[in-house]
This record gives sequence, C-alpha cells and structure tokens, in this order.
Amino acid sequence: MVYVVDDDPSVRSAIKRLLESVGLQVELFGSAQEFVPGKTRPNVPSCLVVDIRLPGISGLDFQQELAKANVHIPIIFITGHGDVPMSVRAMKSGAVEFLTKPFRDQDLLDAIQLGLEKDRARRQREAEIAVLQERFESLTQREREVITMVVAGKLNKQIAAEIGTTENTVKVHRSRAMEKMQAQSLADLVRMVERLQVSVRTIL
Amino acid sequence: MIISANVALTGSYDYSEVARSVFIAIAASYAALDLAGRVTAARGRIRLAWLGGGATAMGIGIWAMHFKGMLAFHLPVPVEYHWPTVLASLLMAILASAVALYVASRQKLGLVDALIGSITMGAGIAGLHYLCMAAMRLPASTSYSPLLVACSILLAILFSLIALLMAFGLREETRWSIPRRLGSATVMGLAVSAMHYTGMAAAHFIPTSPPDLSHAVSISPLANNGIAIVTLIVLVAASVTSSVDRRASGEVRQLNLDLERRVAERTLQLEAVNQALRREIAEREQAEEALRRSEDRLRLVIDTIPQQIWSSPPDGSLDFFNAQWLSFKGFTQEEMQGQGWQRTLHPDDRERVVRAWRESVAKGTPYEQEERHQGANGQYRWFLARGVPLRDSQGQIIRWYGTNTDIEDRKEAEGRLRLVIDTLPAMVWSKLPDGSADFLNQRFLEYTGLSLKEGLDWGWMFNAFHPEDRAEEEWRAAFAAGEPFEKEARLRRADGAYRWFLFRGVPQRDELGHVVKWYGTSTDIEDRRRAEEALLEAQDKLAHVTRTQAMGELAATIAHEVNQPLTAIVTNANFSLRQLKSSNPNLDELRAAITEIVNDGTRASAVISRIRGLLVTGSSRRTELEINEIIQDVITLLRNELTRNRVQLRTELAANLPRVQGDPVQLQQVLINLILNAIEAMRLSTEQPRKLVISSANNSDGVLVQVQDYGPGIEPERAKLIFEPFFTTKTEGIGMGLSISRSIIESHGGRLWNVPLSHGALFQFTLPSDRISD
Repeated sequence: MVYVVDDDPSVRSAIKRLLESVGLQVELFGSAQEFVPGKTRPNVPSCLVVDIRLPGISGLDFQQELAKANVHIPIIFITGHGDVPMSVRAMKSGAVEFLTKPFRDQDLLDAIQLGLEKDRARRQREAEIAVLQERFESLTQREREVITMVVAGKLNKQIAAEIGTTENTVKVHRSRAMEKMQAQSLADLVRMVERLQVSVRTIL
Repeated sequence: MIISANVALTGSYDYSEVARSVFIAIAASYAALDLAGRVTAARGRIRLAWLGGGATAMGIGIWAMHFKGMLAFHLPVPVEYHWPTVLASLLMAILASAVALYVASRQKLGLVDALIGSITMGAGIAGLHYLCMAAMRLPASTSYSPLLVACSILLAILFSLIALLMAFGLREETRWSIPRRLGSATVMGLAVSAMHYTGMAAAHFIPTSPPDLSHAVSISPLANNGIAIVTLIVLVAASVTSSVDRRASGEVRQLNLDLERRVAERTLQLEAVNQALRREIAEREQAEEALRRSEDRLRLVIDTIPQQIWSSPPDGSLDFFNAQWLSFKGFTQEEMQGQGWQRTLHPDDRERVVRAWRESVAKGTPYEQEERHQGANGQYRWFLARGVPLRDSQGQIIRWYGTNTDIEDRKEAEGRLRLVIDTLPAMVWSKLPDGSADFLNQRFLEYTGLSLKEGLDWGWMFNAFHPEDRAEEEWRAAFAAGEPFEKEARLRRADGAYRWFLFRGVPQRDELGHVVKWYGTSTDIEDRRRAEEALLEAQDKLAHVTRTQAMGELAATIAHEVNQPLTAIVTNANFSLRQLKSSNPNLDELRAAITEIVNDGTRASAVISRIRGLLVTGSSRRTELEINEIIQDVITLLRNELTRNRVQLRTELAANLPRVQGDPVQLQQVLINLILNAIEAMRLSTEQPRKLVISSANNSDGVLVQVQDYGPGIEPERAKLIFEPFFTTKTEGIGMGLSISRSIIESHGGRLWNVPLSHGALFQFTLPSDRISD
C-alpha cells in the first residue's frame, strides 16, 4: 500500500496512475492533515510519498509528527525545489529517498519498492517481538526474575542465593520458563530476551 | 531856770550864745549826715580818711556846740575851765562821732547795730557833756539832779538812735537829699541842744571855796567866738569837701553810668555780634563736620570699595593707594609710593607693566594692563589695572587716577577655558570670514603635528587634509554661504595616518549681519564613521541576504509552481510510455494520461504568466511624479552600495522635465534593478574607474532615462535573451529582473531596451508624459 500526500491533484493522479500500473495499491491525500496517523490501516507493508511543500504543515514537519506518534512508516520525499540542507534533514530523520520533481518514474518506483521492503521487514520484526512479548508475559514473576538473571550470565547457585531459594527450585523455574518461551537453547533464550530487552526493562 | 536851794547859785543864759550853739549843733548835724553819705560812698583808705576827717569835724561841731552852750550859761561867779579836761571832752566827741559815722556808713543797719551804735554814741555825747561840766572851775560845788542826768543820758541815746537812722536813711544821694538832710540836721541839732540843756538843768552849783585853778583858763569872749568860728569853718570845710566830693563822685557816677550804659550797649552789640559769630562758628563747625563726614564717607568709600584705587602725579610716581590696595599687599602708603608699587609685581610682568606705564605717562594715553600682584599672603593674583589722566582746561595732566580690578577669577576661568579648549577631545578653531584660520587649539596642532604658523591661513587644509579631500572650492563656498555648516574630511595625523573629522562651523555676525568670524570644531569621527560603514555594510549584507533569500523563496515558489505541472506531465508521459510498451495497453488510461499532460503543459505556462503578473502589477499605485526625484531617491537608497563598490556616479539630469504618471515604488524597482545590474556587472571588472552615469532627458514620448555602466558589457548573442524570464548570467539571479522591469515599464506605457555598445552596457527606458497621454 502506497500513501501519496501532495497538494497538486494532477501530480497525485499521475502518480496514482503510474503506481497502479505496476500493481501497487495507492491511497491519495491532499494534505498532511488528511492522513490521520492514528487511523487503522490495512496491516500490509506500506510507504508514504510526501511532497515537501504542503499546505499547512510541511512534509518535513509531517515526518516529525509521525515519528512522535510512533508511526514507523518509510517516507519518500518529492519536492519541486529541494536543497541540500533540506534533503539532509529528511534523510537523517529516516527518509527512504529524496526525489526532485520532476522525477524519473523508475526512481520513484525503486524508492517505493525499497520502502515497502523496509516496512515489510519492520512489520515481521514487530510481529516476532509481539510473539516473544506474549510468551514473556505468560511467565510468572519469579520465572521472569530467574531468566533475566540467567541471561545476565549468573549461575543457578547465585540466583538461588539472591532470591532466597534452593538451586533446584531455580532449575525448575528456569526449565519451565524456557519451555514457555519456546527456547531451544540457552543461546536462543538470550537472543529472545535481548530482542525484548526494552520491554523487559520496562516490566522489571 | 534852774532853781536850787536858796544857797545855790543862780545861773543865767546868754540867749544869743544859745542860738549860736544850736546853730552849731544843726551845722554839725548836717555835716554828720553829709559825711555819713561820703563815708558810705568811699572805700578802703579813702573811707578811713573820710571816717577820720568826718569824725573830727563832727566831733569838733558837737563839742563846740556843748562848749558854746556852757559858755552861754552865765553864773554869778567867775568860771574857768580846766583845759586838759576840755581837750579830753573834745576827743570823746570825736570818738563818739567816729562810732556814729562808722555805724551809719555800714552796708546794713541791723537793730542791734543801731542800738549799740546809739548807746555808744549817746554815751559818748553824754560823756562829753559831763566832762565839759567837770572841766568847769568855779567857786562852787556842782551837784546833779540824778533824774535829769538820767533823762539827759536817755535823751542822748535816743537822739543818737534817731540821728543814726536818719543818717543811714539819708546817706544815698537823691534829688531831695539836701532839703531832707537840712530838715534832719535841724531836728538833730535841736535834739542835741535839748539834751545839752537838759544836762545843764541837772546841775546845781553850790558856792564853795575857790577852786584849784591850776591848768584852768578863762574863756574870753574872743576865745568863745573863736571857737564858734573855727568850728564853723571846720564844719563848712567838711561840708564843702563833702559836697565837692559828692559832686565829683556824682559826676564820676554819671560818667560811670554813661560809661556803663555805653558799655552795656556795646556789650549788647558785642553780645549780638558774638551771637552771630557763635552761630556762624557753629554753622561753620557744622559745615566742617559735614565736610569732614563727607570726606570720611568718601574715604570710607575709597577704602572699602572692593577695588584697588591709586593715583599719581603727572610724573607717574604713584603717591596714593587706598586701603584695599594696601591691605591686599600688606605695605604702607609710604612703602608703596614712588616706584614702591612695582615691588609687588610678578617678576614676569614687571618689565612689561613698567614699560607700559611709562609709555602711558609719557604719552598721556590711558593705561590698561593685566598684571599679577603679590598679596600679603605671598599669592599672586591677576589684576586689570586701568589708569586715566585728569587734565586741566589747558589739557595739561593734573593727576592720574587708576584702579586695579581683581580678575583672578576671570583669569582662572580663562585659564580653565583655555585648558578646556586645549584639552577637550575636539579641535577648536576660529577662522576669518574667508575661511583662513586665525586660531587653532592645541589639540589640532598636536594631532596634525603642525605649528600654529603652518596651520594658519589655509594651512589647516593644504597642510593637513587628505589630498582627495582638499576641495578648496567647496570649502570656500561653505564659508562664503555664511551659514552654519558641517563637512567631513580626512585629517593627517602627525604620524601620517588619516582619520575622518567632522568640521562644524558657526558664523559670528556683526549687527549688520556680516560674518565677522567663524568658530568651529573638528571632531574625530573616524571610529563613528567606521562603525557607520561597518553598520551600513552589515545592513547591505543583511539586505543582500534578505534579497537573496527572497529571491530564493521566489525561486522556490516558482519552481514549485512550475514543477508541479511538469512532474505531472513527466509522470503521465512515463506512464504512457509504459503503456505503449505493454502488450496490452490500457487505452483509456493512456488517453486520460495524455490529456492530463496537455492540461498540465498549459497550466505550467499559466503559472509563469501568473507569477510575472504578480510581480509586476502587485499593488500598483499611480501618481503624478517627477522622474528626477525618483532617480534622486534611488541614488540615496543605493549611495552606500555605490560607495562600497567604489563606483563613481555621475548624474546628468535635465531640468524642466514633464511630469509622468506612475507608481513610484515600481519605477524605483526598475531603476534599482538597472543600477544593481550595472554595479554587479562592474564588480568583477578590474577596470577602473567604475563609472556609472544616470541621465534623464526630454523625449518625443515624454522622458528618457538612461543607465550606463562601463562594465564588461553584454555579448550580442545574449542581448536578445536578457529580457526573457529566467534568463540570467548571474549565479545568484533567477533571471526575472529585466523581464519584470520591462513589464513594469510597459505597464506604464513606456518601453525598456538595451542599446548595444562596444564597451559597457546601456539601458534606456521611456515614460510617456501626461501631456502625451492626454
């Protein structure tokens, strides 16, 4: 899915026509305000094609707002009069591409393809983390404590002493947690926990 | 008649003798009264002489009267007299008279004095009588009737009292004094006689044996008469003497009176004269007092006036100094006299002052010098000494009068002012009406390193100005204009560096309004000027940045506006190409895309027109204007730009140009555009000077304005393009300037074009005048 934000209807329709001709789904917006960030959209790889100069807030400000709203959609900027500082700012903020109007059609298509790929990867990563999160949340408080310390490289004996229980009890917690997390090995568990790290920290 | 015992002798009286005795008594009385007056009138020894003489005469008279009376008594027996006793009785009579005269001639006659005097006198007379009786030598014994004796004594005393009182009362000379005296003398004489005869009556003679006749003499009738005659002579002599004396004394008194009267008159006159004199003296004293006071006042004024005053005789040797002078200098009048006054002069002033004073004295010209004098405290103070000669009617100098005014404060102020003038961070000067300097303060000289001589006249310009700033004509014109001016010029510092100075001049005029002098300052404005230049440069840069930014934004807008349709066109075209490549093209979409391409192409063209129109026609406001004013305004706006780029501007503006209708802002824009283009064209050129000529002229259409630069010029093949939109030879331009300028001029009904030149560029535009457009 490609979302196009441009105040010029001809440009919008031309882009729509081009993208549809290569089998992409396209949704058009006349301004940044029309593209409401919180709106539920189809959970498919997507990207944004945004004109820098927009009525109301500019394309670059729109990019900031999306980031603030935790919307991690790849953005391709198109502009009629781009300059270097503008493009640097856009790229630094995570833009996929910065194209000057009029652009070559292939350049736009390539950028869109790259954006969609990025989004697809992100979506997959997010989905995996969501699974891991779900698994982690199924753990008891004690199991979470134990595996966090295991991942930190502590021995069962140390963990037992720290939480005031026996080594055997620790072993039970540990094996049950690994089972729940569907970890094949200790290394697997460590990787999972690292991916969850931000979340884990929040939980603890 | 005395009757006694039958044995007693009977006496009888010879009545002629009695009468003679009474006459003698009266004469004696008169003499006594007369003499009393003389004794009273006399003084001292003369009084004693009168007293003695009078007493003798009077005593003799009284005695003679008694003796006569005795002799008038005739007894039947011979009677002789014991002469010593008779002599004693005479002495007693004289003594009694002396007492009587003495008492009567006293100044005052008190009752006691009168009584004592009368008793003494009475006793004396009684004594005389009975002594005379005792002197009788006759052949009979004498017995006395005590009663009659007492009676006679009392009578004697009584008559003495009366006589004294009468004599006292009559002693002064009056008109009636002689008759009164005669009357009184008669009374007195009778009284004395009465007493005598009473005493005689008291005696009884009893015949006895003959008496002792030793020392006794018999008084013959001749002797008897002799006594009477002598007595009368004595009395008359006394009276005459008294009368003469009295008359003499009366004359003397008259004379005295006259004299006294005259003396009194004279005294009165003298008194009057004295009075007048005294008054005169008083007046004079008053006048003198007034004069003295006035002099005192004058002296007080002279001495207290806060001014030193002196005067000098014509020879110039000062001889008077007022108290102010003396107290200031601490010398006395004598010490200062002659040449003494010179001692307080400051050593540096002495020669000058003395010379000047001598000169004034010699020529008789007023003296005026500023001189320092040393006060008593050792401090020198400045004085303005002034002296003027006082001349007589012939013009000869009588005296010199002068004052010394303390001008220390003024001098100090002057000194301070001079110090201020010499130290204040500005150059101060004064110039003659033509601009040649006659004073330059220390600052100016120190800064320029010039001597005063080098700076005077026009040296301040030719010896100090930067060669480029020596615009003598301009400066002379400024002075000739006679109005306050401000001009800037670079002054060479002693070390050779140049700094900008602001010359401010203000004229001083006489009452006719002619400039008599210029006063002014030169202020170092190098820093300010630098700051100003820096500020202007900064402003320029800012303006330039702003302009660039505005241009950038304009460019962005234009790019955006134009790129939108272009983007759509390119995208649709690409789509179309893709469709055409496809084996199964979607013809409907293809058609739609191509239609959009056409539409967007048209739109792009419209966008450009719109932008141009936006730039040209935005808020146009037409008014009637003078193109020369617009040119001047623009030059003012761009002056700094021109200076900064060292462009020499020349304007050749025609007078009496017709007015044109136009938007001043838009026309300014056109001129600014043309001038900035010219400046930018010349900026890269190394050729000097960078000249720019702006001219205005009459034209058949109205007015013609030219902007000509001496830059690299315009290549012929580009000349056709320069008015096209977005054509630019400049890195920063968007190529709209001339395009818009032409649109503006054309919208005003004029034309803008470029005239090909071999060297530089020339742009001309015309504007129709009202006259033409009407």
